[in-house]
Amino acid sequence: MAQADGAPQPFKLVLLGSGNVGKSSLALRYVKNDFKSILPTVGCAFFTKVVDLGAASLKLEIWDTAGQEKYHSICHLYFRGANAALLVYDITSKDSFLKAQQWLADLEREFPPGEVVVMLVGNKTDLSEEREVTFEEGEQFAQSHSLLFMETSAMLDHRVTEVFSALARELLQRVERKERQAQRGDARLTLNQGPRGPAKCCAH
Amino acid sequence: MSLKSERRGIHVDQSELLCKKGCGYYGNPAWHGFCSKCWREEYHKARQKQIQEDWELAERLQREEEEAFASSQNTQGAQSLTFSKFEEKKTNEKTRKVTTVKKFFSASSRVGSKKAEIQEAKAPSPSINRQTSIETDRVSKEFIEFLKTFHKTGQEVYKQTKLFLEAMHYKRDLSIEEQSECTQDFYQNVTERMQTRGKVAPERVEKIMDQVEKYIMTRLYKYVFCPETTDDEKKDLAIQKRIRALHWVTPQMLFVPVNEEIPEVSDMVVKAITDIIEMDSKRVPRDKLACITKCSKHIFNAIKITKNEPASADDFLPTLIYIVLKGNPPRLQSNIQYITRFCNPSRLMTGEDGYYFTNLCCAVAFIEKLDAQSLNLSQEDFDRYMSGQTSPRKQESESWSPDACLGVKQMYKNLDLLSQLNERQERIMNEAKKLEKDLIDWTDGIAKKVQDIVEKCPLEIKPPNQSLAAIDSENVENDKLPPPLQPQVYAG
Repeated sequence: MAQADGAPQPFKLVLLGSGNVGKSSLALRYVKNDFKSILPTVGCAFFTKVVDLGAASLKLEIWDTAGQEKYHSICHLYFRGANAALLVYDITSKDSFLKAQQWLADLEREFPPGEVVVMLVGNKTDLSEEREVTFEEGEQFAQSHSLLFMETSAMLDHRVTEVFSALARELLQRVERKERQAQRGDARLTLNQGPRGPAKCCAH
Repeated sequence: MSLKSERRGIHVDQSELLCKKGCGYYGNPAWHGFCSKCWREEYHKARQKQIQEDWELAERLQREEEEAFASSQNTQGAQSLTFSKFEEKKTNEKTRKVTTVKKFFSASSRVGSKKAEIQEAKAPSPSINRQTSIETDRVSKEFIEFLKTFHKTGQEVYKQTKLFLEAMHYKRDLSIEEQSECTQDFYQNVTERMQTRGKVAPERVEKIMDQVEKYIMTRLYKYVFCPETTDDEKKDLAIQKRIRALHWVTPQMLFVPVNEEIPEVSDMVVKAITDIIEMDSKRVPRDKLACITKCSKHIFNAIKITKNEPASADDFLPTLIYIVLKGNPPRLQSNIQYITRFCNPSRLMTGEDGYYFTNLCCAVAFIEKLDAQSLNLSQEDFDRYMSGQTSPRKQESESWSPDACLGVKQMYKNLDLLSQLNERQERIMNEAKKLEKDLIDWTDGIAKKVQDIVEKCPLEIKPPNQSLAAIDSENVENDKLPPPLQPQVYAG
């Protein structure tokens, strides 16, 4: 499917989260790790990366957004045409976790349920002694809203690649599901239903 | 002084700027000195007149033809000539299109096209709407040259494009949203057709679509950019005014991570501003996008030089806002609307160009909503700056200077100096006054003290003690005698 016409299918991924939670570091770490990808020469706000998942591959287009509070009201402009969103919070800041929930509400206002793959990411596990948000809290919130969930450390490069591969896998699965439905001639379009069952937790 | 005379040099009388028709609005050279509304009326009249004339000509020709037919049969030749002239006028548009396609794509139809070309050359084109600019011609040529390399697909695309342009000609009175929709549909149809029927590789489809967009938008630009039916122009003026009112915003208020004192950085900032202003001069949405991308790259460079690390979105957006505020790009809203309406949608929602365009939209939205809180100012300060009562720059002349010319810098230095002098003078005046008061107080104090003492111990001149003086009363005059003559009294 994606490879049928040569170039892998592009997917747009928006990085959301308040300032200083490590959105950019997460993306930069991910893109840097892959020696095949071309490093951005000047800015690290927009990246593209081809994710190879064995059977198929896809092209992730990562859009970084400004996280400062004052830009919150205009950030919905970034959402247009997005396929996935990464909600990043800092595990040492309760406030950033609450902000992430706000972002989710914004996303839900903009998209019908299930249209975008959303993943909640608790960053900075290297600072776990200052932790303010427990793993369980994050997981529970993710489950109740059918989000993917992981905790990472961009600094120590812990589980960063896994975040993006999990996201890519979910994206591909949804495309395949849609295609299968289309092939079956399923006229009762159920494309907009949320992901099946509870969210898969990839952290443990 | 020189500034004043310079200003006089380019002075244009208010009346010269106004619409020639005297409706009170400003005129524009592009509209022959009319305002947009009057020009449209004028233009409409001219067109109506043209149509009228065409009809009259047609009728006259018909009459002549009938007369000729009635008078004799042997003037067949002349009659057919006049008739063909009329026919030629009517079908001119169509034949030209068809023949040019044929002309470029097939050598076999040479004979036919030659005839059509002669007809075309004979046909006068006095109406205004046939004035095609040099640029349009050049783009058309390039488009045809480009499509030639795609043989059959190219021919197909050319045909579709021509049909679309013709259809758009009749849709000119529709709302801009409908026209935009038609264009978007057209993009999608052509793309799908190439992919499914022509089996063209995606990269090549993209390339062709870029050229298609360039060709059609160069032609449609003047009808669909900032059309009179929308309030785009009003929005342009509103944002322009808003940016002007915000002239006092400093990089520090927006937390712009750019240090313009580094010459390289200030160079990048200037380039970024130039790029964003240049956007207005482009006709094709994609070229406008390219300007935004170029501007963004310069911003990233400026941040990178200042911070010594690649910029993230947290740095980029504030800087872009700052650049827009400094540049105040012309017709900003019209450009954004035009790109949104007529750019190939896949380019706006994804891809690097789309990312930077989205950021520009965010920047504009931010500027529109900007308030005291978003600049970390108190409401009073914000209001005072907005009303122009004071400027934060007066206090921060150091941070402001990099972008100013030498004269302005000098002026600010002088202003600074003057205010310092003023302060010092005031201080001296105050001290002088204090000294004066002190002096008065001191004299008063002394006088009072003296008074007190005098009151406390009044001066009483007692009468001389007679009994004491009586001891040697006979010698009363002795004191007045010089010493050697003083009588010596010896007790013994």
